[in-house]
Amino acid sequence: MAIAGDLPRRRWRVPTGALPYLLSLPALLVCIGILIPFATAAWYSLQRYRLSQPWNRGMNWGENYLNFLSDPGFWNTLQVSLTYAFLTVGIELVLGLGIALLLKKSTRLNNFISIMLLMPLMTAPALAALMWKLMTNANFGILSYFAASIGLEDFRWGSDPSTALFTVILVDVWVYTPFIMILLLAGLRSLPTQPFEAAELDGVPRFQQFWRITLPMLMPYILTASLFRLLDSIQQFDIIYALTQGGPGDTLMVFQVEAYLNFFQSTNIGRSAALMMILWAITFFLSNLFVKNWLRLRARARGEI
Amino acid sequence: MDHATPLERWLRGIALALVVLFFMFPIFWIVLMSLQTNETILRTPPSMVFEPTLSNYSAIIAGRLDSNVASMGIEFMSNLKNSIILSTFSVALALLLGVPAAYAFARHKFRGSEDIAFTLLSFRFAPPLLVLLPLTLYFQQIGLADTYVGLIWVYQLICLPLILWIVRGYFEDISPDVEHAYRIAGHSWFATFRRIALPLAGPGIAAAGLLAFIFAWNNFVFALVLASADKQPVTVGALAFVTASGIQYGQIAAAIVLSIAPTLALALYAQRYLVEGLSLGAVKG
Amino acid sequence: MIRVEGLTKRYGATTVLDGLDFTVAAGETLVLFGPSGAGKTVLLRALAGAVVPEAGRVFIGEQDVTDRAPEERGVGMAFQNYALFPHMTAFENIASPLRARGLGRDAIRAGVTDIATLLKIDHVVGHAPKALSNGQKQRTALARALVAEPEVLLLDDPLRNVDAKLRFEMRLELPRLLAGRGATVIYVTQDYKEAMALGDRIAVLAAGRIVQIGTPEEIYTAPATVEIAKLFGDPTINLLEAVPEKDEGGVFLRISDQRVALGADLGAAVGRACLAGLRPEALSFAAAGIPVESEAETPFNEKTVTLALTRRRRESLVSRPAGTPGPTSGPAHVAIDPAQVLVFDRETGARIALGQGAAAEAAA
Repeated sequence: MAIAGDLPRRRWRVPTGALPYLLSLPALLVCIGILIPFATAAWYSLQRYRLSQPWNRGMNWGENYLNFLSDPGFWNTLQVSLTYAFLTVGIELVLGLGIALLLKKSTRLNNFISIMLLMPLMTAPALAALMWKLMTNANFGILSYFAASIGLEDFRWGSDPSTALFTVILVDVWVYTPFIMILLLAGLRSLPTQPFEAAELDGVPRFQQFWRITLPMLMPYILTASLFRLLDSIQQFDIIYALTQGGPGDTLMVFQVEAYLNFFQSTNIGRSAALMMILWAITFFLSNLFVKNWLRLRARARGEI
Repeated sequence: MDHATPLERWLRGIALALVVLFFMFPIFWIVLMSLQTNETILRTPPSMVFEPTLSNYSAIIAGRLDSNVASMGIEFMSNLKNSIILSTFSVALALLLGVPAAYAFARHKFRGSEDIAFTLLSFRFAPPLLVLLPLTLYFQQIGLADTYVGLIWVYQLICLPLILWIVRGYFEDISPDVEHAYRIAGHSWFATFRRIALPLAGPGIAAAGLLAFIFAWNNFVFALVLASADKQPVTVGALAFVTASGIQYGQIAAAIVLSIAPTLALALYAQRYLVEGLSLGAVKG
Repeated sequence: MIRVEGLTKRYGATTVLDGLDFTVAAGETLVLFGPSGAGKTVLLRALAGAVVPEAGRVFIGEQDVTDRAPEERGVGMAFQNYALFPHMTAFENIASPLRARGLGRDAIRAGVTDIATLLKIDHVVGHAPKALSNGQKQRTALARALVAEPEVLLLDDPLRNVDAKLRFEMRLELPRLLAGRGATVIYVTQDYKEAMALGDRIAVLAAGRIVQIGTPEEIYTAPATVEIAKLFGDPTINLLEAVPEKDEGGVFLRISDQRVALGADLGAAVGRACLAGLRPEALSFAAAGIPVESEAETPFNEKTVTLALTRRRRESLVSRPAGTPGPTSGPAHVAIDPAQVLVFDRETGARIALGQGAAAEAAA
């Protein structure tokens, strides 16, 4: 018997070689649109350009960058940004690893807790900052009340230069520790069990098991998670802007807040763009490191290595 | 690992309790606060005992606050509407653009495909203000300033890399033979894409979409820079609301609760995929 | 009919298919046989259009289909890993080629039911692939390949992942099934018994080239290389290093100081380092011959195989039909059927010439 139907011949055909380009073209076009402002920013960073003085606009080539060398504001920005980034990531890493170890065993309670802990991470950082702003409000904030009740009568949280950094870091830790925790937990649970069983049989103390087996095997996850966070943290804007707008004074003038205020308040576009270019250079370096680790982890998750 | 001493188990329990307290308390407290009037909020010492009221929510939803002193309008509902519009359409556009591209990157290793994919990934890590600040000037010139279209386009910076890389992983997990089999059976590549690749990557596409929605919703800086009051989402709106409403603390709390509730609900719903999404597909949950 | 000309496929620097040429006649079953990595699967995919070759042409019937998309070639293919559509029922899986051909509902139902009944899976067509046993999955994949009555069937090691019993059944069942349809079949396998049972001809592939193509008998009795000789035959062929000599009596081999006469046409081998290939059934215990030590005896399907040691402690396997009497352990003598001796060049592994008896047999 012959089958009645015939394969319909296609009326129009996409050449096989062109197909992937056609599929990715729309996404590409959207992105090219985004690359233009990037080039513009690089161009502005080489200009003397203040919105308030349009007549004075002109190329000054590297002058914006050169000025940074003798600009205490810039060094403050660099220092605050780096301090913020390394402190937050360091604290979050230690806490996240600790919590992941606590939750390692896959019990119903542990899984429930780990899901609950995702809630801060899913809260918009700007809104999280607002929540903490309310909690540290001097009139009714619960944290201010606690601080007062343990004798810290004049603890003014975000509005005091000496405690502002602590406050924003606290919020950052609240939001982002779960990120590190959840990645490390996934890592911990994916580790092979044989090395641990062998160590158990050999009577290796559990503390040593942690240093000799768990930590080295978890390293790819730790590196990926930390670099990921470092990349975000050095660019932190939402939490700091929502909580203190970079203040009090210039205590919390991290890169993006400084660039934002330069642009919109002092309308010094040249300086703002130069600041962002420097931040971009830092993140570019970090992201290259990150992508390498991330790809290795991705290949492993897909069972390719 | 099971032969923990009782002391150890106690310490573990206490540590876990502290962890839960630290991470859950702020949300718990803000919810409590949203159910109180200014009177009970400002009590010292603070107390858990109060008569809950929904007046803060009703004031926000009605958009009017009437007190014995004065009556004022509240714009918060329009912020909520903006958030919904911006997030929904951004994700829809990102899916429309990103899913075919993800398929191309997963199935056809064409010239430059990896470079393009990594360029897209790098958008996720570039400082957003670097692009946003010049973009404000451009947007004013081409009339995209303060429009949904302009914002949705820029939101692709968040949504597109996420969707591209997660969905690409799901497409890569489909055996190419299954697709070959369908084509050899006599179906065009498009039919194969629609009836084989899309349904099989469906859960991944849905998860990536939900995550992209959450990240779009939570975004702050894009709208802060590019949108004026009537296009602002909740993240920016809440900040303005704090200044505008003065001392109506209960309402601020209610506004925050309303703003974070949708993402928390979505996150709980999609929690199975969160690990994979948060790591851009590098770690499987 | 399938014709392949100069088919070449490269992945980066590796050449997977190296200028293949062959023709499969209409209605013929050609078995592609070879170790993994030989290019069998890639070749099959290139025929189906799932892999785009760098050079060469593929003809199906009289038509050049090299530039056609897979869906325009009208072939049926079964994959080694089944490649069933996991989100469709077995019925929908089998129906997919019919749907592509735009058949009506009733025709599809009838077509699927026919083939499912023939393959004895009609009772499970409502199930999802997940709910099927390996054997049922394999039959579903086969049904999907067969249902549209394609002129060309490409079967990629379809019995690879099914259990031994089922494999045995299918090996008996498949030839009948394929012959009944008159399709031109290319069948990939790594199992030499399957190759012998199913193939009208066998093409042996190694490193992207066809090393030998011929009927199963030709491949068995006159393998082109020592590698092929080792792959076909169970228990494997005995290989003894030897240097053929020649005297007034003709060409001969010296094995344990015994003279084993070879065909006259093996003159070319004289004085070269060679491997003498002796299939276990070419050896038999006899009253006189090469003295050996009989070590152990193993029943092997319908044969009994004896491990014998020559004086120089070289191991050889000797087989005889099961149930026939054999020697007790200890000293014995082995006779060699000179007509079945295969001589290979030790350097290249190529067979030097036909053993004359085998040539006569192959011709017959």
